[in-house]
Order: sequence, then structure tokens, then C-alpha cells
Amino acid sequence: MLSYILRRIAATLPVMAIVALFVFSLLYIAPGDPAVVIAGDQASPEDVERIRQSLGLDRPFLIQFGSWVWRILHGDLGTSIFTNLPVSTMIGQRLGPTLSLMMVTLLLTIVIAVPLGVVAAWKAGSLIDRVIMGFAVFGFSLPVFVVGYMLAYIFALELEWLPVQGYTPLAQGFWPWLENLILPAVALGCVYIALIARITRATMLEVLQQDYIRTAKAKGLGQGGILFVHALKNAAVPIVTVIGIGIALLIGGAVVTESVFAIPGLGRLTIDAILRRDYPVIQGIVLLFSFVYVLVNLMIDVIYTLVDPRIRY
Amino acid sequence: MSEDLLRIDDLHVSFSTRRGLVEAVRGVTLTVAPGEMLGLVGESGSGKSVTGFATTRLLDAAGRVIGGRILFRGQDVTKLGGDDLRQLQGAAMSMIFQNPRAALNPIRAIGLQIADAILTHKRISRDAARAEALELLRAVQIRDPETRMNAYPHELSGGMCQRVMIAIAISCNPALLIADEPTTGLDVTTQKVVMDLLADIAAARGMATILITHDLGLAARYCRRIAVMERGRIVEEADPKTLFSAPQHAYTRRLVAASPTATSRIEDLVTEEERERHAAVVSKPRLEPAHGTPPLLEVRKLAKRFDQGAAAVADFSMTMAGGESVGLVGESGSGKSTTSRMICRLIDPSEGDIVFDGQSIGRVASRDFHRSRFRKDIQMVFQDPNESLNPRFTAFDCIAHPLLRLDGMRAGEALRQRVEECAERVGLPHDLLPRFPHQLSGGQKARVGIARAIACRPRLLVLDEPTAALDVSVQAVVLQLLDRLRRENDIALLFVSHDLNVVRMLCDRTIVLRNGGIVEQGESRALFDNPKTDYTRELVEAIPHIESGKVLAAAL
Repeated sequence: MLSYILRRIAATLPVMAIVALFVFSLLYIAPGDPAVVIAGDQASPEDVERIRQSLGLDRPFLIQFGSWVWRILHGDLGTSIFTNLPVSTMIGQRLGPTLSLMMVTLLLTIVIAVPLGVVAAWKAGSLIDRVIMGFAVFGFSLPVFVVGYMLAYIFALELEWLPVQGYTPLAQGFWPWLENLILPAVALGCVYIALIARITRATMLEVLQQDYIRTAKAKGLGQGGILFVHALKNAAVPIVTVIGIGIALLIGGAVVTESVFAIPGLGRLTIDAILRRDYPVIQGIVLLFSFVYVLVNLMIDVIYTLVDPRIRY
Repeated sequence: MSEDLLRIDDLHVSFSTRRGLVEAVRGVTLTVAPGEMLGLVGESGSGKSVTGFATTRLLDAAGRVIGGRILFRGQDVTKLGGDDLRQLQGAAMSMIFQNPRAALNPIRAIGLQIADAILTHKRISRDAARAEALELLRAVQIRDPETRMNAYPHELSGGMCQRVMIAIAISCNPALLIADEPTTGLDVTTQKVVMDLLADIAAARGMATILITHDLGLAARYCRRIAVMERGRIVEEADPKTLFSAPQHAYTRRLVAASPTATSRIEDLVTEEERERHAAVVSKPRLEPAHGTPPLLEVRKLAKRFDQGAAAVADFSMTMAGGESVGLVGESGSGKSTTSRMICRLIDPSEGDIVFDGQSIGRVASRDFHRSRFRKDIQMVFQDPNESLNPRFTAFDCIAHPLLRLDGMRAGEALRQRVEECAERVGLPHDLLPRFPHQLSGGQKARVGIARAIACRPRLLVLDEPTAALDVSVQAVVLQLLDRLRRENDIALLFVSHDLNVVRMLCDRTIVLRNGGIVEQGESRALFDNPKTDYTRELVEAIPHIESGKVLAAAL
């Protein structure tokens, strides 16, 4: 198992290298002289020259790339052009809210979607199945910001059950932290709940037709045992795959959700950085998201082997 | 009789399908006494499995009992629900299935799967259940049971999986076990071992058994009473001896005739009127190849190694003359399919050469072989007609495809005529040509597969278990067809099979393979009547013949 994980990690290295090269090239892919781009429209020629030298843009591309990678490997993501703060510090400040939002959303999604899908498959064709799948279509079709504003209007403004906007760090208490995250998590999770419920249903339907489910019935096992012990674990591989893809999509969704609910997370930082053409910050964020995504994929691969003993590499 | 363990009274089961209700079982009446082993025999679609599933209440959602009663210990099973039903399932009554590997949960250790069954019905601790599961593995004679407890189904052979299934089924000492085609798909030798085990366990525990099978020979060997089913009804019920010596019903007679025995010839497999048509062809003498004609196929020291593993095939040499039929037999894993695929040039040999019609073709990469002029000369008929036909190709498309690709024909009248001619040669009615595979029966699909293979008029036909998935009566017709094609068109047949009776009938010569090497070869009849090696003798003796059934039934 350990050698498998190590080999998987080694396999992610080329991916990370390509991502790094792409992220670094962002500056050059953008039209015009990077220094001019960075300096902005109002900069004087002296400003441009200063930036060019401070970034080492006068040196050959590969040497620049090499030294950039070298600095990153030492934890130095560069300095923001706009705030003059280290990029790692800026990301660090915003990481908490985004990770919290993503984790709560993910948890909520799994806790709601998987049982819904299982029940829908078990009662396939019944009224319950149709209601659940109806909700799934609904969840698919609504954009995050629509759901977000609707939820905020109903539960925060009208009913006043939950706060409208904002974020409280976990350090200030579990409930205050969670209270602020419930609405954004539901808004963000809607699509994923729909997606994962549907995948769970489809996979479970297939699994429930397998011979070993008939064997489980022949043994006299109860409905719960059949569904959750024998069927769900067999359906797990596609479900886990979709959850993994979902995490990647969550990153994009988080950007919108954070705007709607005024959460000071990475999503907001991304938007701000793009608007300000703060290239070092953009690079840092893209690199971080890529890293997270590679990590999630690695985790999924490991989960596969835990779930299914036939998967051995 | 009041002491019947199971009494099925005028059972009717129907399935709701898209075309409306289909009645699968129409008025079955059966009794099973405690400790008895009853054979329930019939071809696919006869309703034998449905009867079994109705009894154990495992019919799928579309199936419903619409009439009759199933009395188990005087209690009507069809009316049970909830906890009463669960106390019955797996405890008083249990079932084992065809394809044991699929019947076991692929991602759960087998020890746990056995313990599941025990824990459902007994209030004991997990450790105690585990200990019982271990005992059961011993009872079904699994070697090294302590380690096997943690094994997963994919790590076990098919025969071992069926033993595990038996262990699950007997875990709560049921009074009745229903075995639905328990050995179909297993090797003959494995089949014998598993069936002997099942019979011993049933006898030792006084467990009544219903053996559902399509194999008359198997039922005859192990059951003292056999019920024959056809289209949802029981048409005849008798002891094996009577059934085989004096079958009463026309269907039983046909079934008995179609079951190959140690002495039957191909022309024996069908009823009188069909024999007439065949007679003309059989009497036609085969053209002896002129002296000095090079062999059609010469295989020299062929070997195949799959990555790192031991050789799947090693040092395999053979020759075949035009129009000759050669059987390739052996247990699964003996390398017979690998060999046939190399000769067909579907996979590349690791060593050795294949010479066809004086030209070496062993060096042509298999992925380029479709461009070779010999591609149309060597064609293949695959094992499962259900799996080997493209579901989106009609029968016509399927037969026309090789003509378009290999014979350079264009769509049009000439192509239509060729396809129809092929269909005629395999006895496939023209009105079936526009149909898709799912609209054809198993036998019809087999014919499409053969028509496709002979479309380009090949000189060598390689057949990989072409009748393994077919009912005996369909098998009889397909075998006759192959024999006729060989005689009429001088097609050489390389017949890969584990069914020795079939090989004995169809093939002039037989090659016995074991662990990738040739064990024995020679003229078929001589080889089977007087096997020189223990392995061949084991293979021959493991076939459940109807004759041996007589002896066994008489001895009981």
C-alpha cells in the first residue's frame, strides 16, 4: 500500500511540473510586455523598467522559470504587486474561510445526497423516487447565485434564523462558525447534491441487479444490510469519483458563493487579484488549486483501493 | 403424502414485460420428500429456474406468483412476508446459483460473507460466527481455510467460489437446498468434485435438494427422481433409468436424443425426420487430399507468455490438413483458448511459427493481420453468441461486414445475395436477417456467428466453445451444421472445447492440453476409449454420462 501511494505521488510530479510551467507562462501568454502588463496603464517607463529588473524579466525564460520554481519549493510564492505583502501570507489569511466552506459543503452533500440516491434506487419507480429525482433536476438547473440569494432572503431576512452574510473563524466557537456557513454551503451544494444523488441512484440500480444481491437476499439479510453493507460499498467507486470531480468544481463554485455571502475567502481574493492584474497572487492561487486537485485525486485513488480489493496497481 | 417437505401445487408465475404478461410457469406440481435429491431438468426458458426462485421467494420485481401454492412444511411460502419470510430464507431453505463468482459480493471477504448468513439467523457473537464460518470452509473442503477466510472472490477459482456458496447455503442447516445450475460453466473435473461434495453434504445432513440443470447426464448421475420441464410445465417425471430407457413424452425423447453420450454420433442427435436431410451429406465421402499436398496449417513450437507470468502455452506443435477437424480439449487455464487465438492471429505468439498454406503468418503482427490475404481464409466462431455479436448490427450487417471488409464487396444486390446464401447455408430464415441480436434466440445467434465466419469462404474455421452457451437440442443442430459445412465445403475445423463428448463426435483427431502443453494426442475415438495418460482418463471419467447414471441409480 505504501509503495503504491509513493508511486502515485511520484506520478503526480510531472503533472505538477506542467501546471507550474503553465502558471509561470501566464505572464507571457498575456498580450504585451509582462512588465507593462504588471505595471498597469498609468505607469511611467521608469516604473516599467524597475518592475522588469525586480522580476528578473531581462533574463532568459528558462532561467527565470528555474529560479521561480526554486523559490516556490522554498515556500516563497512571491510578493503581491498591489499590497506588497508576500503571496503566501495573503493566501494563508484567506485559506480558512474557503476550506471551511468547502468542507461543510462536501459533508452536507454526502450526508444528504448518498442516502437520497440509495432510497431512490431502492424504491425505483415509486413516488419517493420521482420526488427525489424531481428535486435533483431542480438542483441542477438553478445557478448558485440564484439559490444563494433566495436562501438568504428566506432564512436570513424573513425568518431571521441565520445570518445574512459574513464569516466567523472556528476559533470563536463552533456554532458561530457553522451558523455563517450553512446557507452558503446549501447554496453551493445544491448542484452537487443533485449530481451525486443521481449518480448514486444510477449506480445502485445497477448494483442491485447483480447476482450477489440476490445471494444476500437468499441468506435472509435485512433490507438495510443489503442496501448499505452489500450494495452501497459496491457502488462506491463511481460515487467517490464523482465526489472527487465535485471537489474540483467546488473551487469554481466557491468563488461565486463567497461573493454572494461576503465570505473573505480565496474566491474573493481570486476575483480581486484578477481585477487588479496582480499576477503573483493569481499564480499562487492557481498553483494552490492545482495542488489541491492533484491531492484530491490522489486521495480518491487511495480510497478506491480501500473500497475495492480488486483494484491493485 | 403428508410428510412431504415441499409441495408445489399448480404453480403459475408470470412476468410483466413490455409486451405484456408472459407466463413462465404454468401449472407446476411437484413434491420433495425430506432428504431427497430431485432433478429438475429443462432447456432455457422452460421455467425451471423460475420455479426455484418462486419457491425461495427470490423472483425479481417483474415476476409474480399468480396462482397455486408452495407449501413448505405445510406453510404457504407465497403468502409469507416480513420476518416470517426472512426466517425462512437462508435458514430453513437456501439456494445456490449459476456463476458462483458473480453470486458472491466481490468486495467482501468470503469469511465475512459466510458469517453474514450465520449472524442473520443466530444470536451469537461475531467471533463465534467467524469460528463457524471457518468450520464451514473446512466442511466444503477448502484447503487452507484460515487464510481463505480473508480472501476475496476474485482470488478464488470458480469451483472454490461455488464451494463458498455451498458453505453459505448450508450455514444454518436448511431442510431444503435449491441448486440452480450449480456447475454450469465449471470444468468437467471441477463439476464432478463440486457435485460429489454437494451430494455428500446433502446426504450427511439429511438435506433435501432440488438440482436444477439443463444437463440430463448430471441429473441422472445424482438424482433418483427427475422431473422434465418444457415451457412452464412438467411433462414427465420418472427415475433416471426409466427416463432414459423409455421416455414417454416427445420432448423428453428429443432431449434424451440430443444429449451426447460416449457412443453417440452426430447424426444420432436429432429425431428421425431431421436425420433424413442429413443422410445425403454424411454419405458423401470426404475428398482425400492428393498425396504430397502440403498441410493447410502447420504450427511449430508455439509459445505464449503474458507479462512476467509463466508460459500460458509452451512448445505447441500441430498440423492440420484441409477439411480435417481437430479438437483441442483441456480444463480452463490449460491454454486452449490462447492457442486458438494465436492460430487465428488475434494475439501474437511469443515464440514459434504458424505456417498457413505454405506461408509463414506467425510473424505478422496480429493488429496488422486484417490486411493479410489470409485473413479471410482463417475465421473464428466465438464462445458466447450473446456477447460476440454487436448489439447494434442486424444479422444482415453482421454477416455482410466481413464481405465488405475482406472480400471487397460493395453494398447492393450482389452483397444481398451473398448474405442470403450464407444464411441459407446455416439454416437461418431470410426474414430473420433484419433483426438485431436481442430479437434472436440463442441458437439463431449462434447461426449468425457461424454465417459471419463462413461468409468469406474460409478454409480454416477456429471455433472456441461454440456450443457452450447453448441448449443441448440447439447444440445438436449446430454440431450437425458444422459437420455438414466441413463435408460440403471442405472447411478445416479447429474445435476448442471442454465438452469431450462433442469433440469425440465432431473431430477426427484430438489434442489434450494441460498447463499450456500437449499431454496426449491422437485419433479421437481411440484416444477417448483408451486414454494413455491419467489426465485424459480423469477428463473422460468426469463427464456425467447417462450410462453411468444408470449404474449409479441402480446401485442406490
